[in-house]
Amino acid sequence: MGTGAPPPPLPPKPQAKGLNCPKCGAAITLRSFGQAVTVVCAGCHSILDAKDPNLAILQQFEAITSVAKPLIPLGTRGKLRGTDYEVTGFQRRSIQVDGITYYWHEYVLFNPYKAIRYLSEYNGHWNDISICKTLPTADFSGATYLGENYKHFQSAEANSDFVLGEFPWQVRVGEKAAVTDYVHPPRVLSSEKLDKEVTWSIGEYMYGREIWDSFKLPGDPPAPMGVYENQPSPVSLNVTGMWVAFAAFAVFLLVLMAVFDMRAKKEPVLEETYQYNRVNAKGEPSFVSDEFALGGGTSNVQVKTSAPVDNHWIYLNYALINQDTGQAWDFGREVSYYHGYDSDGSWSEGKRTDSVVIPSVPAGHYYLRIEPEVDPMLPAIPYSVSVIRDVPVFGIYGIAFLALLVPVVIISFRAYTFERSRWSESDHPPMELSSMSSGSGDDE
Amino acid sequence: MFRKFYLLYGALVLSTAAFGQYRGWSLDTVNQLKNIPKSVRDNPGSYRSVYAGYHHYTGGK
Repeated sequence: MGTGAPPPPLPPKPQAKGLNCPKCGAAITLRSFGQAVTVVCAGCHSILDAKDPNLAILQQFEAITSVAKPLIPLGTRGKLRGTDYEVTGFQRRSIQVDGITYYWHEYVLFNPYKAIRYLSEYNGHWNDISICKTLPTADFSGATYLGENYKHFQSAEANSDFVLGEFPWQVRVGEKAAVTDYVHPPRVLSSEKLDKEVTWSIGEYMYGREIWDSFKLPGDPPAPMGVYENQPSPVSLNVTGMWVAFAAFAVFLLVLMAVFDMRAKKEPVLEETYQYNRVNAKGEPSFVSDEFALGGGTSNVQVKTSAPVDNHWIYLNYALINQDTGQAWDFGREVSYYHGYDSDGSWSEGKRTDSVVIPSVPAGHYYLRIEPEVDPMLPAIPYSVSVIRDVPVFGIYGIAFLALLVPVVIISFRAYTFERSRWSESDHPPMELSSMSSGSGDDE
Repeated sequence: MFRKFYLLYGALVLSTAAFGQYRGWSLDTVNQLKNIPKSVRDNPGSYRSVYAGYHHYTGGK
């Protein structure tokens, strides 16, 4: 046995302390060991000094616990993003904007080996919050933290309405702090000024399901309502990229158009002028053209008709018939042109030419059956028919252009409405909303 | 995900447009028929278009 001085006493091991409230005698368990600065008695709502061995009463407040029941009960343990935490504190806070009070809830998460973390919840929107490790720089329009720029969202005075459990700071009900939020979805940078002390925290948006799974909570999380300040937009991140992709596709489409226009044969295979004469057309008006060959692979055929009509019409029943197979394409085309003057001035309607493109016609020997019908006022009229093999159809490019454009416009509109909803809740509402609200104010 | 989907979709649209041009697609509507008798060549009146007599436009404002 040594004869020296006795060894210094070892510091007490951290352990959950069982204490009693000096006000009402209710049992109080300190879960966060020496880190708790204040603890709230769930029985009488006395805020006690956790650093005082006798738990001196710091404040007492009246509260209806049913209106501020934690969604995650105190003492619940879970693994949040890989780290074990226990919920040790809960508070309800509020701000007032235009006479309306908005409430949100904050949960203190404790791990003896990690820094304190917080969860906040507002209308089903959750944030995982931790204290900033470096000091952000901020001005009235925005802030910068770790090289990332944040836009100013809202400044307000936050009030602590209700507290429960343990807190690593001197919490008080009724305490007011100037809070400012800056957003860069899915993150929110918040400053909280209490007296002369400013605390910066960084939060990241979380979905309720993730919280429920982390803490193995029964049932389903409350469904989020509206759009939250740092809620990631399901579409915004893609909008610029999609417009870039659209521009690239539009260029490809132009190239495609140029290439197919150059390689199109545009080969005239029949050019005839016929004469309609009512006197001679007493019998069968239909007739057939000379035979012509359509070469190459399957491609289209353009049939153009022109007639010098003047306040008259001519209608031609066509059939493009494959002499070898009996396959036919039947169609009717009108050429009409009307013009005149009335009280509105001069007017005109129709054209003296017409064109139709017959799709996917195989190679072979063909002829046209033509059956003219003519305005009864016309005794006779010449008309020309020309057949051209393999022409470009620019309408296909138009449809392709629209097909490429429509999804980008829809996504852009959705992104716009999402951001509009987000910023309508901020200090910087969209122009039309701010003018609407000022308009409604005038009406009152 | 949207962007990947759009890239695939856009490629499909361009491919369809190119295939359509190659195959000679058209936006016009025509009535396709089969087995037209060869006698039509010599007797055009033996065939009657489905559009015949349909048109009686009077036109004008």
